[in-house]
Amino acid sequence: MYKKFLSLTKNLTVSLEKGLNLFTTQENNPLYFHGALPLYTFWFLIFSGIMLWMYYIPTLDRAWTSVNYITSLPVLLKDANGQLLLKNGIPVVAAISPATGIPYGAVVRGIHRWGAAAMMITTILHMLRVYFTDRHRSWRWLPWVSGVLLLIFVLFVGITGYLLVWDARAYSLVVSTQRWLEAVPLIGQGLSAFFIGGDAIRDFTLTRFFFFHIGGATFIFWLIWMHFIRLHEPVVTPSRAVNFLTLGFILVAAGVYPAVNVTNDLIAQYPVLAGDKGFIPSDAPAQIGYLVDVIRYDAWYLFPYYLMEKVGVNWAWIILGSATILLFVAPFYPKDRRDNIAEVVEAKCTGCTFCSLDCPFEAITMQERAPGSKFKLIAVVFAPRCSECGICVGACPFQAIELPNTHSKTIEADVLALLKTGAQ
Amino acid sequence: MSEIQSAIPVEKKKRVIVGFVCERSIPIHDMMGPHKALADDPETKIIILPCSGMVKPTQMELALANGADATFVCGCAMNDCHYRTGNIMIRERLEGERNPKLRKSTDKRKVGMFFFTMKDKRPFLDALAQFKASTEDL
Ligand code: HEM
Ligand code: SF4
Ligand code: SF4
Repeated sequence: MYKKFLSLTKNLTVSLEKGLNLFTTQENNPLYFHGALPLYTFWFLIFSGIMLWMYYIPTLDRAWTSVNYITSLPVLLKDANGQLLLKNGIPVVAAISPATGIPYGAVVRGIHRWGAAAMMITTILHMLRVYFTDRHRSWRWLPWVSGVLLLIFVLFVGITGYLLVWDARAYSLVVSTQRWLEAVPLIGQGLSAFFIGGDAIRDFTLTRFFFFHIGGATFIFWLIWMHFIRLHEPVVTPSRAVNFLTLGFILVAAGVYPAVNVTNDLIAQYPVLAGDKGFIPSDAPAQIGYLVDVIRYDAWYLFPYYLMEKVGVNWAWIILGSATILLFVAPFYPKDRRDNIAEVVEAKCTGCTFCSLDCPFEAITMQERAPGSKFKLIAVVFAPRCSECGICVGACPFQAIELPNTHSKTIEADVLALLKTGAQ
Repeated sequence: MSEIQSAIPVEKKKRVIVGFVCERSIPIHDMMGPHKALADDPETKIIILPCSGMVKPTQMELALANGADATFVCGCAMNDCHYRTGNIMIRERLEGERNPKLRKSTDKRKVGMFFFTMKDKRPFLDALAQFKASTEDL
């Protein structure tokens, strides 16, 4: 039943990709770079993040101002009639910011914001694709389980990123998170205190969020290493066309729709901003004790909060908790037969290493033979990692490694038999 | 004149093509007819394997040496091998970029390779027909 479901999802996925191939060609279909895309967007986040980091000040009274200082945005000024203001025939450009501002800081912040959205969306697409095409089970459990951890950490880093802005929404999210943590039996109060770093929100709270954000991103790096450890030469860069497409998407989005805190104060100061839809809106500075009426949720990072608002804290725990458990156990069901694992014929193996170089799941290691042996090395298959693909069989020039149920001798006998009957 | 010619049934020489097909690529199990041949093309005999990366170039040479008119491999669409790299491996082996390679003396024109998805039954059969036509006079 479940297997049928998996084969149906595979069918649908392949059909969808085939459809997309009509527009993109086989080599440049972004769906074939599903794993490389989140990693590629991660680089944007690291570089734009380092640039933002240079000016960000994680204290209660300076955080919001420092973000605003970074995101000074050059805009074209207009007169009262909405016409471009001209000086000597050239449009007048002004920096919109309460402070002096960093040129194009809003675009860098936009890259960080849009890159973060792109990373989460591509991560989810990647997960769905490996699941739908049945590439998540058996010997692939490690990339899958580390993938679930990656998903959780990408979410965590994204949410803490929203907190760093320290606007009214960030404060409301902190309060919601505390409610959520307090609902944990026995240790809830402790968790909540751990989250904000004490019994009240202080400067230290933002330093802690800053640590969560950057520490979490660093941990993602380590998890990616875990994710790749059993994949031979993982595809980590998309094709050139897909690279440019992603780059273009993030840059254009950040240029057209930069991240600026457009508040009422700012509009009072620069009326040209009123009604301008060309910015990601952000809220006024956080005020302890003031909760916004409506939190602006996004679908990729803030869905847990949306869920909490809709169904309450306990149900949100139950739903998100069960979904996470299901994700973690998914690779172990249904069980495969596993009766065709590669075997090395010791007497024939010359230790040439071809099989271990070509095995796609790092299942073969080369080990030293006893002193005095004719050959120095021997291939050893680590059964739990073997996918029963037979690529090592194709790689071995000496018929020294075989799949027991699909033996080369049988294949060759079949070829000869076919030719005998075929010619009649 | 040509109409008269095409009206006369020509006794065509029966050919044998040996294909090594990955069971995760085209829906090969549904495409089989009697005697391990393709239902749509009885001249083409099929060996089904778990992955195209398992094919040894020597096995294709064996087929050619024992009377096959041509031989081919069919694996998953490029970038989409179920076992990640099987199609890349066999392509590089047949193109002479990865060991073990085809022998130099092997007539490469008689060695085909196709990379298709489980939805590509038609495109595969078309490509196969084209390949067969290209090997007809060799
Ligand atoms: C930061 C997020 C992630 C990154 C950068 C990432 C990257 C990658 C890359 C580059 C590959 C190798 C593709 C190949 O060469 O065949 C891969 C494979 C894989 N990923 Fe991820 N991944 C991420 C998240 C996830 C998540 C959330 C899951 C699932 C829960 C997941 C499950 C897998 C699995 C099962 C494979 C193995 C696929 C195969 O063997 O064909 N990954 N990932
Ligand atoms: S069959 Fe060979 S190449 Fe394939 S996973 Fe097992 S050991 Fe590696
Ligand atoms: S390719 Fe064959 S001979 Fe070479 S190390 Fe592997 S099993 Fe041994």
